[in-house]
Amino acid sequence: MKMILSIAWRNIWRNKTRSWVVIGSILVGIWSILFMLSFSYGLITTYVDNTIRYQSSHIQIHNPDWKEDQEVEFTLENTESVLQYINNQSYQSSATQRTLVNGMVRSSRGARGAMIKGIHSEKEGQVSHIDQKIVEGKYFTENKKNEIIIAQKLAERLKLKIRKKLVLQFQNAQGDIVAGSFRIIGLFSTANTLYDESFVMIKQTDLNRLLVLPNASHEIAVFLDDSKELAQVKSDIQNQFPHLLIEDYKEISPDANLYESQMEVSHRIFITIFMLALIFGIINTMLMAVLERNKELGMLMALGMNKTRVFFMIVFETLMLGIIALPFGLILSWLSITYFGKHGVDLSAFSDGMEQFGMSTLIKSYIPTELYFSLSTATVFTALLASIYPAIKAINLKPIEAMRKI
Amino acid sequence: MEIIKATGIHKTYNPDKIPVHALRGVDLGIEKGEFTAIVGPSGSGKTTLLNIIGGLDTPDKGSIIINNTDISSFKDNEMINFRRDNIGFVFQAYNLIPVLTAKENVEFVMVLQNRNLKERTERAEELLNAVDLGDKMDKRPSELSGGQQQRVAVARALASNPTFVLADEPTANLDSTTTANLLDMMLELNQKEKMTFVFSTHDQRVIDRARRVITLVDGKIV
Repeated sequence: MKMILSIAWRNIWRNKTRSWVVIGSILVGIWSILFMLSFSYGLITTYVDNTIRYQSSHIQIHNPDWKEDQEVEFTLENTESVLQYINNQSYQSSATQRTLVNGMVRSSRGARGAMIKGIHSEKEGQVSHIDQKIVEGKYFTENKKNEIIIAQKLAERLKLKIRKKLVLQFQNAQGDIVAGSFRIIGLFSTANTLYDESFVMIKQTDLNRLLVLPNASHEIAVFLDDSKELAQVKSDIQNQFPHLLIEDYKEISPDANLYESQMEVSHRIFITIFMLALIFGIINTMLMAVLERNKELGMLMALGMNKTRVFFMIVFETLMLGIIALPFGLILSWLSITYFGKHGVDLSAFSDGMEQFGMSTLIKSYIPTELYFSLSTATVFTALLASIYPAIKAINLKPIEAMRKI
Repeated sequence: MEIIKATGIHKTYNPDKIPVHALRGVDLGIEKGEFTAIVGPSGSGKTTLLNIIGGLDTPDKGSIIINNTDISSFKDNEMINFRRDNIGFVFQAYNLIPVLTAKENVEFVMVLQNRNLKERTERAEELLNAVDLGDKMDKRPSELSGGQQQRVAVARALASNPTFVLADEPTANLDSTTTANLLDMMLELNQKEKMTFVFSTHDQRVIDRARRVITLVDGKIV
């Protein structure tokens, strides 16, 4: 076996240019697939993270009827006990309650429909992190009444500016149309402009007063420090409060769930395409190597090298090409992904389109460590697979035909 | 005692199209220790006969018995193993393994025989010294002259302790001096080790040194 390995190793360096071309193509293949996947991962991961961080949180809790019909009367009955339960658990999390009502946002220049969120200003920042997305003005800090924060895009549409007033109009718990005048203290902007325009934020006390629903809440949002605990936390809350509707971000934002699941499928497809391209490239090269060494292979068999040994010699040669390329490809990928993971790729030239879909304009490459292992396995497996045909071609040679004559 | 016995060997190429009758009933016996040349004009069937004796080709009719073993019915891998252990080959174009050194080339067949490292090394060095290449053991074929490569090929052919050595026009690519040296060396091995050599050749210098000459014409021994 040692001698076969030695011959195989020396054989691959007989035609250095060709071997380096194959090694280079495998290396570039590994790098390009990992680099491309890292941006795909980065894009989707950022989208899902943004969705969780600024929109849905990890978990939302509602009155079960709220899902069907977002009516004011479908409030949560035991908000405080739910919050207390969540805060008493061992996992690190932040939770806040909200009052929600659909209404109209009016300015002197126009009107738009929007979800009016009555929030607990201190706790909201920890859950939706919207306080970090204020681009003009400020977040709720003073204990003043009738202050409002709206999206920058919405302000542009309604031709509103900081410190201007607008009117919120909606139906209260008694079915009466009520309205309130609010002063804009802050404008926010997340990566998803469509979502931004869909809601405005006021203090919960202000909204509850207009709704005539003191102490009422429609929603509890929970943000977890560690996403891996999501399933357990959701299950714990559901077991404790079986009569409430507990949903995770995948149920609240099916688009995030779709992207995540599509990511897995598309990555498998990419890796399969990579393997196919690699297989044909390697087969082509190894077939050339076998065909131009017909005479020599015939001679080896004439001397007494049996078919098993010839087969493994060709397999080892192919595997060695892949194994040489693999570490170089992985290191190059790691360096590129680490660099672009730190600095990102600025796609702000396409910001309008991307933000419409909630995509961040700064894409930071990222790849799970296990994908390095998956691709390494795939490369070795591909090289192994690609070696079979040339190896079979080699062992099917008749020594006399290969050599023409002894 | 005959170590090679060929009986009624027939071989026809392209039997369905334009048949070429390479051998037409060859009967041949070679005894241990012979230094035999098979001669004849081009197309007379020399190489075909050598290929069949060496188990590289199969006869259409007839049998080949080597050391009392009928090799005609061997399967591929059986034949490969039989060649490895019983037949040494010297090819016209040397056919050394280009990526191995002279010593490794000689060791190669012994590796295939699973002989241990010490035994291999000793035998390879002994043979390379015998062919006067003791100082070229670590050279690759590309670093050796044609004559030196052919001597390595002879050492390789003897490395497995074969029953006999088949050499197909071994001097065809060599000059007169190198040919003479190679023949001297093979004759010495023939006399000292009682090694049987069977050549196919056109070369009068080889024919002159052979102890037995078998002439083939149109696929028959004359």
